[in-house]
Amino acid sequence: MLEKILAEKFRKTLKLVFSDISNQQDRRDEQEFVKDEVRIREKLLTSIDTYPSDVVLDDDFLVAAVDGSGTESLVTLDDIRVHLLSTSTIVLTSNTHSDSLFSPIDRATLEKEVGEQPHVDAHWHSGVRNDAREKMAESLAEIYPLKDIISIILPFFRDYTDGKITSISDFAGSEFAPYTERLREMRSLISRTQVLTNTTVHEELRKVSEYAAVRHLLESDLCPKYMLLDGAMSIFMHFVRHYPSMPSGFMLRDLCSLARQKNVILCAVSKNHTIPFAHRIANVAKDQLGEGAKWFCHLPSKDDPGGGLHIIEERAYIPPMLAVPYLFSFSRDNRPSRIDFDRVWWLKNVFVAGDPKSTRENEKALFREIEFMSRDARWYGYPVALALAHESCKLSFEDLRIAKEIVRDVRHELGFDDRKTDSYRADYNL
Amino acid sequence: MDLDRDKLGELYGKVGVGNQTSLGIMGSNRDISVGEIFMIYSDRDGHERVFFFRVLGLENYLRQVDDMSRVASTLMVEGDAYLSGIERNMLLSVGGRMLGYAEKDKKGEWTFKAPRRMPDHLASVYRPMHGTSDESVRDMLECQTDGEIFVGDLQVGEDTLDVPIRIPCKFLPMHVGIFGSTGSGKSNLMMVLIKSMIDTNLDAIRNPNKNSTRISAFCIDPHDEFAKGVDKHGIQHIIEDMSSTTRSNVIGDFYYLTTHRSATTREIGRYAREIRILWSEIRPRDLYSIMEFSPQMSSFIEAQYAASNDDWISTIINMEDSKDDAQGTLKAVKRRLRFLERSPLFIEKGSSILADIYYAMETGRVLVVNTSLMSDQEQFLLTTIITRTLSDMRRALKSSGNLGDFERQAEMRLPRSFFSKVKDKARAFYSKGGMKDDAEVRDPKSLPVIQITVEEAPSILNPELMRGQSVFKDISRQGRKFNIGLLVVSQQVSVLDNVILSQMNTEINLRLGNEREIKACIDNASVNISGFEGEFRVMARGEAIVTASYRELPLPVRIPLFDDIYEKDKQRYKDARPKKTEEHIM
Repeated sequence: MLEKILAEKFRKTLKLVFSDISNQQDRRDEQEFVKDEVRIREKLLTSIDTYPSDVVLDDDFLVAAVDGSGTESLVTLDDIRVHLLSTSTIVLTSNTHSDSLFSPIDRATLEKEVGEQPHVDAHWHSGVRNDAREKMAESLAEIYPLKDIISIILPFFRDYTDGKITSISDFAGSEFAPYTERLREMRSLISRTQVLTNTTVHEELRKVSEYAAVRHLLESDLCPKYMLLDGAMSIFMHFVRHYPSMPSGFMLRDLCSLARQKNVILCAVSKNHTIPFAHRIANVAKDQLGEGAKWFCHLPSKDDPGGGLHIIEERAYIPPMLAVPYLFSFSRDNRPSRIDFDRVWWLKNVFVAGDPKSTRENEKALFREIEFMSRDARWYGYPVALALAHESCKLSFEDLRIAKEIVRDVRHELGFDDRKTDSYRADYNL
Repeated sequence: MDLDRDKLGELYGKVGVGNQTSLGIMGSNRDISVGEIFMIYSDRDGHERVFFFRVLGLENYLRQVDDMSRVASTLMVEGDAYLSGIERNMLLSVGGRMLGYAEKDKKGEWTFKAPRRMPDHLASVYRPMHGTSDESVRDMLECQTDGEIFVGDLQVGEDTLDVPIRIPCKFLPMHVGIFGSTGSGKSNLMMVLIKSMIDTNLDAIRNPNKNSTRISAFCIDPHDEFAKGVDKHGIQHIIEDMSSTTRSNVIGDFYYLTTHRSATTREIGRYAREIRILWSEIRPRDLYSIMEFSPQMSSFIEAQYAASNDDWISTIINMEDSKDDAQGTLKAVKRRLRFLERSPLFIEKGSSILADIYYAMETGRVLVVNTSLMSDQEQFLLTTIITRTLSDMRRALKSSGNLGDFERQAEMRLPRSFFSKVKDKARAFYSKGGMKDDAEVRDPKSLPVIQITVEEAPSILNPELMRGQSVFKDISRQGRKFNIGLLVVSQQVSVLDNVILSQMNTEINLRLGNEREIKACIDNASVNISGFEGEFRVMARGEAIVTASYRELPLPVRIPLFDDIYEKDKQRYKDARPKKTEEHIM
């Protein structure tokens, strides 16, 4: 293959692709961006008034983060796959009263509250029709600590309908009435059955594992000020039924609701954001605020004053439903990242109706703390709690190789047949 | 398993990578130094072993950081950056050499093996600590550290354990090398060795039933500091601490030899003798060992020696220059012998000390020889005469079955005037019983070990002189047969002759001056210390690596200050009655 990649023809193919992007997508986005640029520059983008590094806060606070990792093919037994899942919960204290900023809280205290860290789990599922959904529902129910399905689904409907639905009886007469029975079981909450590929199943298991870890933390006595998730707060909706097509969507809203009750700021940070023209926003920030400025930019939805941005008009999940995204950059060396907040919380705690100045002050206070927690020299500009959670949960190739060896040992101990458990491709040395 | 791991020391880290010769250890962020010794507990396959590991390199390691430079530069560039919870992730990556391992044999005794195995996966690494690990290390390394001649204490980094490192007497005749640059602590080491030899002899005197070996030493003191001491105390203080009986048993009438007794302090002077050697006690070979002679000159000397025997030097010096001496051989020989005429040490007539030195050496005594007022040539010739005399006497003994044989052999080998003087005492020393000619003689190995210091060794142990008929060539090869060993002291290793280097079985390697000497020292060591280059570079005064062919472990040693060990031991020199138990035969 290499000779093809090194050939001029491949270069021409790439040139065509990029020219095409430039001609079509970029040109369209450029046209849309021009419409937004002044608004971005003047209203949405602003710099962060950072804390000095020797600041001593009146009230030090805790920052928690959860991240997960795993593999969908720890072992493949014909059409059965065993998924390996790992999650890690990190809790740091801002600790401005000592020299050691954002140091982890005592491990024993953390593990007493949220269990052994990092957490490792395994689940299996098969490709037999319906079994996949059945087995996945079973796994999700087992993983997520809140077992009552009604309690899981209600926070979504409460937020989505702006409080019109607060109990199961409220479904009567609503657009959701036909689906009431489907909303009582984990199995039927999985409505994207056609796309239950291994990857989708794994993603759902992993996401729910992370959400389970978040819930354990929110239920604990640790009371962090911030709870950081890796990713976005996007919820994939069923196009017809208008509710989440997978249980994780409900669970996310359950977490948002619980976080609000516990006065925890729940947010999700994604490095791999899909914000169009983010690089142009970064350039505007550079021009407007200076080369090394630390900044954030609100990406409003159609419901916000001034309406949504033109550049994201056609993007299905930006802004995510019931979430408020921002683009931010705390380091001149890195590309901007995205952070999502629960919209219900945001409307109550950040947004001040009719008072954009107060809203901006609230935003600045929020980002001031988020920037402060993102100065670790190893991952400068990224929230250190999330980075530590990521480091703690990640499964390296070497970890997986050893895990697979242990699988063989365990099967041998159990007296099962010595079916090969490594990838099929390994049989043919591929 | 019966090994108490708590007694190995502080749990320091885990074995990461490596093989049977070098290992990488991941350890806690402690103040570790190059040269420290760690112990690794391994229980692979049910075999309990303790591996010994020597630190040769250190590297800071931050967990979760692949690019330390990037983190450091971020801390520099982003002035407000911090490192969250980094203390826990700060580790030391320690690289070094596996020195070998200790394990118990079937009798339950510790044995030590050269590195030929690996510790177990992720084996625990212990850092020995003074006060905790001394006893266990002493037990495990007993076979690597035991002996009679104390050199120093086992060094673990910048600290030492209470694990004395000794050299067995029986290996002294296989020659010892002391290599170190100026200021590396050679003088203090020599004083420590002299004290240890005196202590060994004292023990032998006080415990006659143990049949301990006595040690004789002819110790060259080029700066006249052994007797008085470098700082507060010297060998003289040990001698003065002894009661007259003990002193008489240990040193006889004297221990200090000097060129000018009148220039010696009154205290030392009481135990001093002047060095005087008669020309008649010098053999041509002695001169061949210290300076170069052409074949013509050697032939001429040999001819004169054959004709005049003990008077050969007087004969040559008194010869009138002849017209036949076309090639100038006589003049050249005279020129070479001229220094004997000028020297106060080498005298044509008078009283010689050589016989007294011989008696001292055959009765297990230590002599300190002040050579500070001698020329190099005088010093080298003196050392050569002593070495050759003692080796010829013992060679004669070794070649004999009884005293009659010995006398005949000795008369052939030694200057007549000298032998006639020492004959009676020599017969007494060497007889197994009785003084008749047919009395059986002793094996030289049952006699005191004689250790002769060769100071500034490159001047006489260089390849040029060792090519000829050097006395030292024979001693280096055959000394062990006669129980005579050389203590070669040198600032350089690279210039010493290979014969002596290859015969040397114990090396005390102190700090060395330059890369060439470090390399030569490593190449010459009796055990593999390759990779120790870095450590030689950071060695402090008084630190040494002791290597020996009869030991698997290169031993890092801290040589204590003479004053300190003297203060500690001074009480032992007070009088104590020898307790010889009587044998009751029913």
